[in-house]
Amino acid sequence: MAALVLALTLTGCSGGVERREVVVTGSTTLLPITEVSGEMYAEHNEGVSILVSGMGSSAGIESVSTGSSDIGTSSRELKDAEFELGLEDTPVAYDAIAVIVHPDNPVSELSTMEVRAIFSGVITNWQEVGGPDLPIGLVNRDEASGTREAFSKIIMDDAQFDRGAVVLPGTGQVRSVIADIKGAVGYISLGFVTDDVKAVSIDGVEASEESVVAGTYPVQRVLHFFTKGEVSDVAADYIEYVLSPDVQDTIVREAGFIPITAKDGSGE
Amino acid sequence: MSEPLKTEKAASSSGLKMMSRATYFREAALKNIFLLCAVLAVAAVGLIFVFTMARGWEVVKDPGLAAFLGGTEWSSSLGRFGILPLINGTIAVTLGALLLGAPLAIGTAVFLSEIASPRMRSIVRPAVEMLAGVPSVVFGFFGLVMIRPVVAELTGGMGFGTLTASVILAVMIVPTIATLTEDALGSVPPGIREASYAMGATTWQTIYKVLLPAAKIGIIDATILGMGRAIGETMAVVMVAGNAPQFFKGLGAPIATITSQIVIDMSYATGTHKTALFGLAIILFLISMGLVALVRALSRLNTKKA
Repeated sequence: MAALVLALTLTGCSGGVERREVVVTGSTTLLPITEVSGEMYAEHNEGVSILVSGMGSSAGIESVSTGSSDIGTSSRELKDAEFELGLEDTPVAYDAIAVIVHPDNPVSELSTMEVRAIFSGVITNWQEVGGPDLPIGLVNRDEASGTREAFSKIIMDDAQFDRGAVVLPGTGQVRSVIADIKGAVGYISLGFVTDDVKAVSIDGVEASEESVVAGTYPVQRVLHFFTKGEVSDVAADYIEYVLSPDVQDTIVREAGFIPITAKDGSGE
Repeated sequence: MSEPLKTEKAASSSGLKMMSRATYFREAALKNIFLLCAVLAVAAVGLIFVFTMARGWEVVKDPGLAAFLGGTEWSSSLGRFGILPLINGTIAVTLGALLLGAPLAIGTAVFLSEIASPRMRSIVRPAVEMLAGVPSVVFGFFGLVMIRPVVAELTGGMGFGTLTASVILAVMIVPTIATLTEDALGSVPPGIREASYAMGATTWQTIYKVLLPAAKIGIIDATILGMGRAIGETMAVVMVAGNAPQFFKGLGAPIATITSQIVIDMSYATGTHKTALFGLAIILFLISMGLVALVRALSRLNTKKA
């Protein structure tokens, strides 16, 4: 593996200091990984720039399949229609989706069923799940969001999201709104959970690296890099870099995600 | 109005004869450059219209005109693209903005034109004009941080929705309506104003009974243009409306407008979804064309009467 990285790095650098670009588009969830690793990579490789933007997983898959970006990042699996695009999948990290509430909300545990009932609009008051008499304020993500897609797949089953929910187009916005409103509830990637909000346990399991690795936390997913066809040397090298312990054990972990190597035992 | 223009033109064309060759060419070149500017502006509108039409007309095939215009559900994941909830949202938000903003703006205009001392005017007018220069994302942010909590308190919801969006839009359309209304009041012949005062009318009676009726069409014009601004506004609305494509459920409930839905969806839309978004753009185009036509018809009415 290390030899491969080295080989790729060498071939990547053999062209002198010509400018080379890797365009990375997609999930806002993956931004902490792609932005930081992109900067680090560019620092170590003269003449290379990694252009990162976050427009949602669907946008990433769309743009890598049309060739407008080298790597499409996604926080959800491919949909049936997208399998035909012929994309190659490189899993880069594990993530848990945390259900978050205002820190003052006394509710700290919900069952999968309760979460589903809340997000489909069946349960509308915190009283019904052992909380205070306070209307529930639903915060949802937009339909481009991979987090929404994954959450919907794991939690919602066949149930539809309540159409009256506030729709916000970014993870950070969801967090800041929930930190601000007493009765609000939403879901964000575990990596984005701060002290401003409180993550509730699902089915009695707290969202954490241990519970994700053990497979007990129900709302977890894989974060992907998608590429299409022949990948440029520098893009392939960048992907290798993201998968290396240099990134996995530092950037990925610091961003609150779980290294892709954590589960298969090959990572130290 | 047209009289002095004619004489001016005559003067300039007679002046041309006495020009040197170089001056003549320079003048001709300038004329053509300005013509080019005008043509480019028109071409831009034409191109945008043609492009939007070309990309959007297929809504009649898929999802189909009835499903598009008459559909009550907008959900890309379910493949349903009915625009009624979005039209409903646009109307609710715009109506709210006009109810709050128009009186405020007309009041400001009356103050500036009839009541304010020159000193006051020199403070208030630039302030109103500056309001027009504030970027809409700043309005949106202000709404999110300042207005939303107040609305949440008032309605018991989260504060995202029709009322918050309306309040922000109301402030945003004040400069448009106020400036044009002030113009309309200013073009009321001074004789009418003086006659009213000479009859012993008070300031309020003059404003209410004489000036506002005389400037009526101009004020309606101003309000329609403000309405156009409110319908087209996107960024500020996305930030505070809650963007839930549902029918109006109360002032505090989240709602989506045509523009907010386009901006939320456009980054990832493909296929039918993308066509439907262009279809939404056509609807917006038609609405604003309708409003411009209305304004033109009204001002024609006005000149005929005067």
